[in-house]
Amino acid sequence: MPILEVKGLTKRFGGLVAVNKVDLSVEQGEIFAMIGPNGAGKTTLFNLIAGLYKPTSGQISFNGRSIFPVREFWRTYQPPLAAYYTVVDPIRRGLGLGPIPLGLKPHAVTTLGVARTFQNIRLFSYMTALENVMVGEHPRMHAQVWDALLNTPYARREERQVRDRAMELMRFVGLERYADQYARNLAYGFQRRLEIARALATDPKLLMLDEPAAGFNPQEKAELMQLIQAIRSRGITVFLIEHDMKVVMEVSERIVVLDYGEKIAEGPPQKVRSDPRVIEAYLGKSA
Amino acid sequence: MKRPNAPAKSGIVDRVRRFEIQGLGAVGRGRNVPYLLLGIALILFPVLDSDSSHVNVAADAGHWILLALGLNIVVGYAGLLDLGYAAFFAIGSYAFAIMASGQFNIHISFWILLPVSAFIAALFGVFLGAPTLRLRGDYLAIVTLGFGEIVPRVFRNATPITGGVNGIVGIDQPHLPSILGWSGKFGFNPVPWYYLILAVLVLSLFLINNLRNSRLGRAWMAIREDEVAAAATGINTVTTKLLAFALGASFSGFAGTYYASKLFLVVPESFSFQAVSVVVLVMVVLGGMGNIRGVIVGAILIYFIQTYLLIQLPNWISSATAALNIDFLTKLDIASYVQRSNYLIFGIILAGIMLLRPQGLIPSAQRKAELELGTSEEAVADLGSA
Repeated sequence: MPILEVKGLTKRFGGLVAVNKVDLSVEQGEIFAMIGPNGAGKTTLFNLIAGLYKPTSGQISFNGRSIFPVREFWRTYQPPLAAYYTVVDPIRRGLGLGPIPLGLKPHAVTTLGVARTFQNIRLFSYMTALENVMVGEHPRMHAQVWDALLNTPYARREERQVRDRAMELMRFVGLERYADQYARNLAYGFQRRLEIARALATDPKLLMLDEPAAGFNPQEKAELMQLIQAIRSRGITVFLIEHDMKVVMEVSERIVVLDYGEKIAEGPPQKVRSDPRVIEAYLGKSA
Repeated sequence: MKRPNAPAKSGIVDRVRRFEIQGLGAVGRGRNVPYLLLGIALILFPVLDSDSSHVNVAADAGHWILLALGLNIVVGYAGLLDLGYAAFFAIGSYAFAIMASGQFNIHISFWILLPVSAFIAALFGVFLGAPTLRLRGDYLAIVTLGFGEIVPRVFRNATPITGGVNGIVGIDQPHLPSILGWSGKFGFNPVPWYYLILAVLVLSLFLINNLRNSRLGRAWMAIREDEVAAAATGINTVTTKLLAFALGASFSGFAGTYYASKLFLVVPESFSFQAVSVVVLVMVVLGGMGNIRGVIVGAILIYFIQTYLLIQLPNWISSATAALNIDFLTKLDIASYVQRSNYLIFGIILAGIMLLRPQGLIPSAQRKAELELGTSEEAVADLGSA
């Protein structure tokens, strides 16, 4: 059963079709890669899945649960908004306009088990590396406002556990020596690793990496590939965007290729590499 | 930064010993000693200082510290620039005034209303916070500024409920059973007020210090640093920001209750933009955004400048010119100029402090790092372009 399923996904920005009727499915436990030239719509597709953008049309479901569109207004939205949607939704459908195009909010998608990193690193610059990872633990913590205010034994116990787990993750990505450094002060490669650690802290089932090897030297790329393999062996499905063909071909089991927002190829690396449409997209049409 | 793992079970003494306000700097066993001494000094202050006007000034400064600590949650922790904080202070004050005065002949006890008006202020924090959630930075500031103007205006015009321009007079005072030869009445004796606000401040400090090191405090900081990344790590930015508004407002509810009760009356004019919102914001920024100690120092300093320095300055100048006894100087009458331009002097003092210490008097570690890095990076850029 696929863990992530995308059907007919389309996103328009005004006249520009950034993602055009893309279908793809990521299987449980695989390393799945998405490649394509600049501006092909890869990051937009990530943002659609993560709930940062609202799709124009299409369907996204994760682990058997729909991320877009969602109907469970009462569970995912504040009561006044939910009441409004509950009234408007049947009217829209009665008029043949279809259901209200509503998706889960980014934090709700993350809570379901989809974690991500960003192409341009987005860490909490002036929090320590350890604190960054501890923020990642937020969705699986249970301390409430009163726990926070009164520093109850429950909150203290949870804080200790979270700190330990965060430290364990720091060791996993090899950053335990830099736990007390501000994220901002870390070297570029370490920042990338820290972002992965923060994403892992949310306890994801699917990890989406947006160009994790960008700006890496060959040594760092090799280490990153090891890290990705280690993440997969923890039972986490990996979905990555990557430009570097060597990384993609070595690490991933299946590849999807986007060009101008459309899916032009899909399959194992060897097959994709020899696909004439992929070669054309990357190298240009021969005269 | 890193603390040794706490034993599974710890006694109250142990916990008090480990209690630490963030960013104290001192590490080790001796770190609480200066604070213990300060605490003793604060408790003994009314006993040692027989001048009750000094105690009164200290008691009044207390509610400003409370306001500054509350705004620090919104501005310093969550990074939401709120220019309408006076609105919540006004709501807290009026909530207490309406429920504990002759206005509707309701007289609920001060001790019950203290948390109740904090809760009402928090509720309005959510109401006024909700429409601003999509806004950031400058835009948020403008909308909150609008709310800060609207609320006192509503109080001024809702005459049947709030007494309009005249406000509400004859507000109840707290009562306590008589102990140690003290009647238990507050009245115009500043000493019980001083101890009351001290107790409220200690409680607030305990709560706010806990908040900063909690799951919620971390979520606020994450939102301040990068809202998109915070959402992507599973933080519900809507409820987290609303909680910042609500908790920030609740402390101004405490302050409002105390203020209305001590002053005996509330009028809409005392909650204007320049009288409260700006002053409290200045206390927070000048003291050191996000740092509890800094905010307290900032609040005391600004309060001192406003209520003592600016008022005494003309007197000092006139006595100085009288002492110098130079005909030319006495004729110039500098003192009256100074008296009339006290806001100008206030402005110059503020500008001076901010130029000398842009990070605030006692900055939080983050702000400090930010400014230091900023300057060093600029220097590198300058070298590159030269």
